[in-house]
Amino acid sequence: MNYVIETNNLSKQYGDVHAVQNANLQVNQGEIFGFLGLNGAGKTTTIRMLLGMIRPSEGNVKVLGQALGRGGSGPWAQVGHLVESPSAYPELTVRENLDIARRLYRLKNPKVVDDVMEKLFIASYSKRKAGTLSMGNLQRLGLARAMIHNPSLLILDEPANGLDPAGVVEIRELLSNLAKNGVTVFMSSHILTEVDRIATRIGIIHKGQIIEDLNAEKLEQFRERRLQVKVREFTKAHALLTKENYSAIIHNDSIYISDARALEAPDEIARLLVNADMPPTRLIVEQQDLEEHFMQLTGNTK
Amino acid sequence: MNTFSSALYTESLKAFRSKVPLFTTLGFLIAPLVGGLFMIILKDPEAAKSMGLIGTKAQLTTGTADWPSFFNLLAQAEAVGGAILFAIVTIWVFGREFSDRTVKELLSLPTSREAIVGAKFTVIATWTFFMTVLSFGVGLLVGDAVVIPGWSGELFRSATVDILGAGVLTILLLPLVAFIASSGRGFMPAFGWTIFTVALAQIAAVMGWGGWLPWSIPALFSGAMGPRTESLGIHSYVIVLLASAFGLFITFYWWRNADQTR
Repeated sequence: MNYVIETNNLSKQYGDVHAVQNANLQVNQGEIFGFLGLNGAGKTTTIRMLLGMIRPSEGNVKVLGQALGRGGSGPWAQVGHLVESPSAYPELTVRENLDIARRLYRLKNPKVVDDVMEKLFIASYSKRKAGTLSMGNLQRLGLARAMIHNPSLLILDEPANGLDPAGVVEIRELLSNLAKNGVTVFMSSHILTEVDRIATRIGIIHKGQIIEDLNAEKLEQFRERRLQVKVREFTKAHALLTKENYSAIIHNDSIYISDARALEAPDEIARLLVNADMPPTRLIVEQQDLEEHFMQLTGNTK
Repeated sequence: MNTFSSALYTESLKAFRSKVPLFTTLGFLIAPLVGGLFMIILKDPEAAKSMGLIGTKAQLTTGTADWPSFFNLLAQAEAVGGAILFAIVTIWVFGREFSDRTVKELLSLPTSREAIVGAKFTVIATWTFFMTVLSFGVGLLVGDAVVIPGWSGELFRSATVDILGAGVLTILLLPLVAFIASSGRGFMPAFGWTIFTVALAQIAAVMGWGGWLPWSIPALFSGAMGPRTESLGIHSYVIVLLASAFGLFITFYWWRNADQTR
């Protein structure tokens, strides 16, 4: 299978420090791959290796089916990127910054500059020098630069940085629409809730190692609501609920039910258990917490 | 639109829009203007004495108010001033990408890194050579306005070789500065390098082995330490060319292969 991004045992070592260790990534077309990790986990080093800015100590990278070569050669005409904090030439206007990006991406039609400014809502700043832009608008300029050539792969490092809440929503919708049109998005973040809202797949990197790959199915589990029931005789209670056609599971001395009818009418569950002389000690509708899962994986607690 | 022309447009626009070309060019024009002032002072010894320090300094460096002395002053300023101001231009063109953290915008593009580095060198060479020619042109106008004796066609041809030659030799040494500005990822290491080489050039020239040190050679070529035939040989020009080629090679190599972490 041809992956849009494929790494094999990708590693980067600085002296005794293993910034990235044996990272194996396979990202499919049209996915929004959220790359999560704490600060210093190895996200940016990995992204720079995906972009040919840093040469791996070991392993290899394929982007759009092409192995990255020496001297940073790669399929960059089809890849847009935003790495770490956005930067622009402060003495140039927004339009000039985008126009030099257009030329460096070897695009002949100057209209693409206007189009991408419209798309990123920075057309009204076109004559402003980049050095006078707010952090949020600088981020938009960085994203505009990454998208000016309509790439089939976007590699974005913390794309929501510096954006106001409305900007975050705009960018989320923009990226979702791009993905629907077949664009693959690889985005890193340490803001879990933001990634959780948009990503179709999540990879978690910790201390340079990829410790979790949550596909769409697993992510859906985290997004599902479920009813947690605590009963003293939970085995008997579980049997009773199963008999009543609830899809109940036992986990850590609790019973979890994800049926819609249980979520809509938890009082029915309570009545059933009380009538069977097994009154619940706890009955609560909860959502599995990706954040808690992340914290447990990375050895942090809430 | 090929990759080099794209990169050249980009680098030219960045250069034109910044204030660095204006300031460095104005800085470089100080030499002919101050030279002209010295000539005015030297034309009238009584006024020179009454000027105190400035008059004494003018007397020490040029001696007489004539075209040979004026051209000699211009050539020395070209060699020493150029070593510093041209280095500032180079440090800005390369070092600003790291200080402004814009270097990542020049990577992972269909335009190759080689085209971008080549465009940067082209802008630096054009810009510094323009400064050399402009300074010489302004010097001719100032000398003409001051009205000093000793002009001849032969002298003009010789001064053109001295001044433009010193400028070109100085420009040829800039790739090493570009490498330090790139590998040092900013301005300061390259500034330190420039100060070091200017100081080393003075010491080497005084000790008599300046003909073997690349950074002494432009000043010796300008006639700062007497006729250049006494201090420079073919080996001197070969050394400058080798230093230039090495600087170009190592800068291109670094941009192609170094990890870019900024």
